[in-house]
Formats: sequence, structure tokens, C-alpha cells
Amino acid sequence: MSRLICPFCGPRELREFEFHKTLPNAGDTPFERVYLRVDSLTHSVEHWQHIQGCRAWLHVERNPSTGAVLVMRLATAPGVA
Amino acid sequence: MPRYSALALLRARFQGARYWKPLWTGRTLKAAYDVVVVGAGGHGLATAFHLARDHGLKVAVLERRLVGYGNVGRNTTILRSNYLLPENHYFYEDSLRRWETLSRDLNYNVMYSPRGVVDLCLSDGDMITASRRGNAMRLAGIDSELMELDALERFAPELAPRRSRRFPIVGALVQRRGGTARHDAVAWGYARGATALGVDIIEDCEVQGLCTEAGVATGVETSKGLVRANRVVFATAGHTGMVGAMLGVPLPIETHLLQAMVTEPIKPLINSVLIYVHPGHGETYVLQSDRGGVVMGGYLDGFPSYTREGQWHRLEEVVQGAADLLPEIGGLRILRQWAGTNDMTMDGSPIMDRVKYDNVFLNAGWCYGGFKTIPASGAACATLVATGLAPDIARGFRLSRFATGHLLDERGGGPFPVRL
Ligand SMILES: Cc1cc2nc3c(=O)[nH]c(=O)nc-3n(C[C@H](O)[C@H](O)[C@H](O)COP(=O)(O)OP(=O)(O)OC[C@H]3O[C@@H](n4cnc5c(N)ncnc54)[C@H](O)[C@@H]3O)c2cc1C
Ligand SMILES: [Zn+2]
Repeated sequence: MSRLICPFCGPRELREFEFHKTLPNAGDTPFERVYLRVDSLTHSVEHWQHIQGCRAWLHVERNPSTGAVLVMRLATAPGVA
Repeated sequence: MPRYSALALLRARFQGARYWKPLWTGRTLKAAYDVVVVGAGGHGLATAFHLARDHGLKVAVLERRLVGYGNVGRNTTILRSNYLLPENHYFYEDSLRRWETLSRDLNYNVMYSPRGVVDLCLSDGDMITASRRGNAMRLAGIDSELMELDALERFAPELAPRRSRRFPIVGALVQRRGGTARHDAVAWGYARGATALGVDIIEDCEVQGLCTEAGVATGVETSKGLVRANRVVFATAGHTGMVGAMLGVPLPIETHLLQAMVTEPIKPLINSVLIYVHPGHGETYVLQSDRGGVVMGGYLDGFPSYTREGQWHRLEEVVQGAADLLPEIGGLRILRQWAGTNDMTMDGSPIMDRVKYDNVFLNAGWCYGGFKTIPASGAACATLVATGLAPDIARGFRLSRFATGHLLDERGGGPFPVRL
């Protein structure tokens, strides 16, 4: 996973991207949204940002046990997977 | 279990390999225990040790792989209690005091080496932050010294703090009693000590589910069958996120990788633990192992992962920082690099509390700093499990603090384990 493919910029080094948070939210209260996480060994849905590139917010799906990137596209509304 | 001593070693010399017996293997899993501890890392083993020694309970430790294969055997062994917040520094200090006598208490040499931990400052701002932390520690009776260049030059001559650098060093916060210990020896010492007290350590035994009846846990389902237990403790470190999934309770934890690396051995060069946060490279910490290798580490990789493979860019950053700090190590070859999964909480401080059920406990969330707390955590968690009440020094580590806002956020970084 040393590169990610930004939908705008193409393949870029991982260090250009910043992981933000896993999705979906654990619940609807602010506490659940901010502090709790739903963890998965095999399928993690996440928000990332291409901070050292186009700064787009990205929707990323990965397998955290293998490092494989399954989906990478432009994110929609905040908190929505 | 034979007691180790100089005399015993001498005797062993003549008995050869026959003297050395396995220290914890060969126990069989029984049907029921007072307490089942999940995870034979440092925290699980220390908790089991104290449950048996201080509270006389019948305990099993169930480990999905082997003793010491988790973070207890992967960390860079830095011991210190230089934390700002009282809830943290009293606890970490209790642990540091226990390190001072641990080899004797366990009758096992954990090679505690109080060589000093040096937090380097590169600006006046760093010095102000460091003095605030140092003063908070001193008010709590914990040793801490703010050093300017003359003192630092005397304490860490290898650093040559005045040498020309792009970002000159201006001073450091030093904790002399901080240092290192031998990671494997800590796991082995507690495993041996617990076994001697009758604890069953069962390897290759994964806990896959919790058995409950009328809102009370009655035992665990394992890869080796059902085990009944009056109380269950999860000390699963980097797999605590999965415990949340198993119990159906989302936890304030994300799982992140931290990597470390070690060079080929060289003659003694680095006398203490050097921590260097560099404006260009991020964080690097450097120490020299007793075998002579230069051990280095830095920040988390930055995103949830169970791969245990460190990312290249972080390795590069750590090595650049180290070579910048001590240019003479720049030519050394790296022998090994590895990573471990860390249970990162949303405020960077641990959790020692009940979870979901009255008789299920969590000893987790130690983030990337849980090696140093193993002795205190074992004692405190055993008290919580045996008496139902956490000792005062661990009261701050409640799970409910995230909901009530009583966060222990050392960094003041907000609910993002990896943001700086
Ligand atoms: C590279 C690196 C450097 C570090 N450096 C330092 C440092 O310098 N100083 C410091 O204080 N801390 C450091 N840490 C952090 C420290 O290593 C950890 O906080 C601490 O070791 C975690 O506790 P543990 O020893 O109990 O974990 P582990 O040894 O990981 O124990 C947890 C055990 O639980 C087992 N387990 C998990 N799930 C199950 C299940 N379902 N059933 C059965 N068994 C299960 C695992 O197999 C594992 O053996 C570092 C960590 C890393 C990765
Ligand atoms: Zn982009």
C-alpha cells in the first residue's frame, strides 16, 4: 500500500494522503460519532484527504489485514459512506 | 520451579542443558477458573501474576499465538513516567517504581537499565512546554530536570548538543530514572512467575466469543472449547478493536501500526534514550540495545491496519531524523524492521474498567506506550478484578470518560489518535 490512486491526480505516494476517520459512525449521538469506532479485520471504510495534492476528500475501502485498497473515490457528504 | 541465583547458575554450569526446564508450557486447559485472562502479552501475564499472588485466585491466560509474540516482544522498551496529567503521571510513576525492583520480585533479570530519557527541545517554545511538564512532575514528586546546553553536554556527550545543525538543540527535559528493560525477559519473567503460582498459560488458544447468561458472563468460547469463568479480563492490546466487535460494543479505539528498526551492533555510543521531534522529519527516538544495535522508532504509520508491515515513508522519516541527530550512525546498515498493532484510544490514555458486563474487564488502550506500564497495570487490574474497585491511581482510566468528557488527552490533540 505504498501508493494510493487519487481520482483526480492518479497514483501518488501514500505520504501525500491523510487518514481521517473510519465509517460508518457507531451511532447518531455526537459522542458516538466522535469517539466510538466500529472495527473490522477485513473491511474498513474510511475518509481520507489528499492533503499534499488536490486536497479532495476521499472515500476509501480497504482490507486492513492485507493492506489491499478495494475502493477509492471522491467522498460524498460527511459521515455518509 | 528452581529459584535463580548466582549459586544456581554455577550449578547449572555443571548440569548443562538438563538444568534448564520449560518455564510455562505443558499446562492443560481446565473446565473452569475464577478468572480467565485473554492475551498473554505483558498486561495479561502481569494481571494473572497479581491475581494469583495478591488475591489467591485460580487463573488461566489464554493466548491465540505464543507468549511474547505480540507487542510485548515488539516494542522499543522505553520506560519513563514523564507525563503531564496527574491521572497519568501517578500511574506511570507507580510503574517506574515497580521496575526498579521487578527483577528481584520476579526472581528474573528483566535488565532494567535506568539510563535516562532525554526529550530534546529545539526552540524556546519547546523549553516552555517541557518546563510545564517537568514542573507538573516535580509537584507530584517525580524526578525531572530541565537542562540547558551545558548540563545536556555533560549528561549526553555523544549528542554533542552544540554541534552545527539546521535545527539547533537548545535544551532537554531529562528523566534520569527512565530507561529501558529487556522486552522478552518481561514476558518470560511474568509467565514463569505466574506458572509458579499455579496459573495455567495456554498458548495457541484463541478466544472467539463470550458466553453469557442473564446478563452475566459465564465463560469464553475458545478454539480449544468452552471454558467457564467467574470473571473475564481482556488484555488483548492490538486486537481490542476486535474484542469490541466480539462483544458488540464499539470502543473508543482505532488500531494503528507502529514500527521500529535496529541497526547492526556497534560499540557503546548512545548512553541514554534520545527523543527528537524534528520540524522537518517528525519524531525519532534512538537508543542503543545492550547488544549494541541502534534501535529507532517514531510516529504511527497513520491509518488503521492489522498488517504488521510498516510503511516505507515512515521508516525513511525515522532514519532521516536519527541520522540528523547523530550523523555518525548514518552509515550503519539496518538489520531488522518490524511493526506492531496498537490499540490507540481517542485521548491517548488507557482503559481499565468493566465493559458491557459486570464481570468482564478491559485492560487495554495502552496505545504505543504500554510496555512501561506492565508492572503497575498488572497490580491495578488484579485489584479491580478481584475486589471490584480500581485502586486510586487507576481511577482515571474509566471507559465512561469519553462520554462524560473527562478525557486524559496528554497531547491536547482531540479525538484523533494519529493527528499531531
Ligand atoms: C514498535 C513498537 C514500539 C513500542 N515502543 C514502546 C516503548 O518504547 N515503550 C512503551 O512503554 N511501549 C511501547 N510500545 C507499546 C507496547 O508494546 C504496548 O502498549 C504493550 O506491549 C501492549 O500490551 P501487551 O504487552 O499486553 O500486548 P501484546 O503483547 O500485544 O499482548 C496481547 C496478546 O493478546 C493476544 N490476543 C489478542 N486477541 C486474542 C484472542 N481473541 N484470544 C486470545 N489471545 C488474543 C495476542 O496474540 C497478544 O499476544 C511499542 C509498541 C510497538 C508496536
Ligand atoms: Zn488528488
